[in-house]
Amino acid sequence: METVITVNGQAHTVAADDRLTLGELLRDRLGLTGTKMACAEGTCGTCTVLLDDRPVLSCLTLVAACDGRSVRTVEDRGRLLDDLREAFTATDGLQCGYCTPGQLMSAVALLERNPSPTTAEVVAAMAGNLCRCGAYAGIVEAVERVAVR
Amino acid sequence: MARLVRTEAVVEGRTEIRYTLVEDDDTPEWEPGERPALIGEPAARVSAGPRTAGTARFTTDIVLPGMLEAGILRSPHPNARLTGLDIEAALAVDGVRAAIGPADSPGGEEGGVLTGSPGYAGAAVAAVAADSRAALRAGLAALQPRYETAGFVVDLDEALGRQDLFSDPSEYERGDVESGFADSAATVEATHRMPAQLHSALEPHCAVADWRPDGVTVWTSTQSIYGIRDDVAGTFDLDPERVRVISEFVGGAFGAKFGSGAAVPLATELSRRAGRPVRLVLSRREEQTTTGYRTPASITLKVGADADGRLRAIEGEGAIGLGSDGWTYPIMEPAKSVYACPNVHTIVVPLRQNLGPAAAFRAPGVMEGTFALESTLDELAEQLGIDPLELRRRNHSENDPATGRPYTSKRLLECYDRAAELAGWDSRDALRSDGRIRRGMGCASQFWWGGGGPPAYAEVRMGKRARATVTVGLQDLGTGVQTACAIVAAERLGVPVESVTVRAGDTSLAGHGPFSGGSMTMASIVPAVRAAGHKVRQQILQLAGDMFEIGADDLTLENGEIRSVDGALVHPITEVTGKLGNAWVTGSGSRGPNPDGMAVNTWGCQIATVAVDTAIGELRVEKVVAVHDVGRIINSMGARSQVAGGVLQGLGFALMEERVVDPNTGLVVNANLEDYKMPTIADLPEIVCDFVGEPDPHLAVGVKGLGEPPIIPTAAAIANAFAHATGVRLRETPFSPRRILEALA
Repeated sequence: METVITVNGQAHTVAADDRLTLGELLRDRLGLTGTKMACAEGTCGTCTVLLDDRPVLSCLTLVAACDGRSVRTVEDRGRLLDDLREAFTATDGLQCGYCTPGQLMSAVALLERNPSPTTAEVVAAMAGNLCRCGAYAGIVEAVERVAVR
Repeated sequence: MARLVRTEAVVEGRTEIRYTLVEDDDTPEWEPGERPALIGEPAARVSAGPRTAGTARFTTDIVLPGMLEAGILRSPHPNARLTGLDIEAALAVDGVRAAIGPADSPGGEEGGVLTGSPGYAGAAVAAVAADSRAALRAGLAALQPRYETAGFVVDLDEALGRQDLFSDPSEYERGDVESGFADSAATVEATHRMPAQLHSALEPHCAVADWRPDGVTVWTSTQSIYGIRDDVAGTFDLDPERVRVISEFVGGAFGAKFGSGAAVPLATELSRRAGRPVRLVLSRREEQTTTGYRTPASITLKVGADADGRLRAIEGEGAIGLGSDGWTYPIMEPAKSVYACPNVHTIVVPLRQNLGPAAAFRAPGVMEGTFALESTLDELAEQLGIDPLELRRRNHSENDPATGRPYTSKRLLECYDRAAELAGWDSRDALRSDGRIRRGMGCASQFWWGGGGPPAYAEVRMGKRARATVTVGLQDLGTGVQTACAIVAAERLGVPVESVTVRAGDTSLAGHGPFSGGSMTMASIVPAVRAAGHKVRQQILQLAGDMFEIGADDLTLENGEIRSVDGALVHPITEVTGKLGNAWVTGSGSRGPNPDGMAVNTWGCQIATVAVDTAIGELRVEKVVAVHDVGRIINSMGARSQVAGGVLQGLGFALMEERVVDPNTGLVVNANLEDYKMPTIADLPEIVCDFVGEPDPHLAVGVKGLGEPPIIPTAAAIANAFAHATGVRLRETPFSPRRILEALA
């Protein structure tokens, strides 16, 4: 079957079997390897992307369910994403960087729907993104720096 | 001129004699008290750009034309013999390009990566490479393995009962513990137990191999590009110069990514057979069951002290479970080496189990041994009515108690003082109450090595725009070592950190670098980078001297300018480098040996504040004060991040992390990132971090490592804080609500 899906503003018509996941589409077919896979079973948040502005796990999302919908990944451009990149860098909100694309997308989703979150709201929104290196303090600080105060 | 130098290196407690090529080096050390520019200032990590843009290429992101996907068939049984395997059927599947079993195993049929006698559930039996994942799945399914199963042991106590030793027990003795206990006014004996902790790096083990007639290129997520190069050259009988290993970005490792594992040799062999590049990425289940873990351990310590709390004897018995591979991690090292105690006797029994291989995990052995020792010492302090921190001060050792060697530097007492001040230790009893929520504060000492050493080499070059490139043959796991290299080069060259590019993670580049482990990488490489940078500095000053007709000795390089010492002459560096055209000024440097006959160690003290909800058995760590003595700090922001990461992994070990193995089936039942609990952002305590920061006067650049130290004392400090809050000891990790409620009942 054919699915029409917009990725970072660009429309793609994808011939996909029913089992193709959004993560596989992004990484294997579109070459957008910024989205990382760490568990591929919906437990770690690493592969988080935005589907119609809401964070989803691209490893569990079927492309067949994305027809006519819009996806944003870490390769997207935009002021908020740039500000977050800069803030993560300034606060050292990353170490190995493998979880960073997912962290950034969860943060974008949070700040778009709630530009002035409390610390508790930041923590709640980011709690699904594991960081084994333990850069959490920098991540909280980075999101709060970009939040509207 | 280069010389071959014999040197001792201590790697995670094991002393190795190495011969190493060292270049002459006349780089002047900084004067005592000198505060060189950039050194110790906070600096953003140099690789943050690609890591935040999604353009950083990890091994899992490598795609080559014609690349095949590979996978591994693994034994579902903890102990079995393979009686049938249909390689031909797999090869007959459309899209399958190569399939191999134990008879074709890289490394040979005996002791190779693929085995016909799997000794744990997850042992690799066969491997397949195919055009697509679908074809790969079909190929693996076609193998139709048949097994004869046998009995197995996974439980640590059962393994101990059977005395199925992996290798000889490790024993240490000094003095006479019996007379030491006879002299003691107080003795405490306690057994501490801990399950396996899984590394759980988010990037799984993986490799991409591209075998060509003239050599092989391997991308892999590794802690040692040169170790992989030597493994591949050895296994496939290749000239090491024809093996190129690339590991530009590594998505976490924590000790599990030494050695080639299964992915590297299997991808290489499958690529050799198929004539196509091959990618092999382990699944999360494979990652959690076959790539290593911190060993489960049972540690019994008996400590005796005089009425003033001075240790008279320590006797230790420990058992660790190595599964199917590993070495005897130094769980008794804290008992042996942290405190002045004349009589010590320890023995460690390494046990074999039908589980995957153990692997070093951030401070292997020492973290486990610190949990046991520092907890037991708190019981001793309580029995004697001595403040726990004071007890530790009274047992401070001025020399290495095991060897009598002097330390290159040791500022542990300053760590105690600073940590106590930052935590408010003296008023800690005011935290206590009889209510439902009980608060308490506990401390623990940290001991580790981390002095670094040779071999480590670096090249620095500067071109016409006065931008520099540092080339080092190491890999950055996310520790920030590349940023440290940039800072040290920038200081010598008088340019901003941002104008330095660091190239690493490729054995085809210049400069053999250290592996990433033992907290040795930065202390090994930074002196080499500084020496290389200094040579470039000297040459540029020489060129400037020629241009401006002034002696090079009368010139300095700072803030992007060449200045005469008298201040009369000031020119931008680019006025000299601009004449280079497309040539570079280059310099190379190497790491010299550490002084003979001295002990090189890192030190620290952490103090945890916890809140215990006695109704539901919840232990929350509210705050951890971490003060470490690791010599000179190169990047204060990077150093803080290392501490935060170590504290969080220590917190995970204490509160939640546990590999659960079903004794009836021999299977790991929580081999995923949901049932294996590890800290999330919601578990983050307040972390207050400080460093003594004084350079080690006997080490080049005064730097020691910081990768391992911060994880070491955290669990013990938390356990001691719990006991302070509740009056009850927790002697088994993780401190789950069930264990806490049972302990409080």
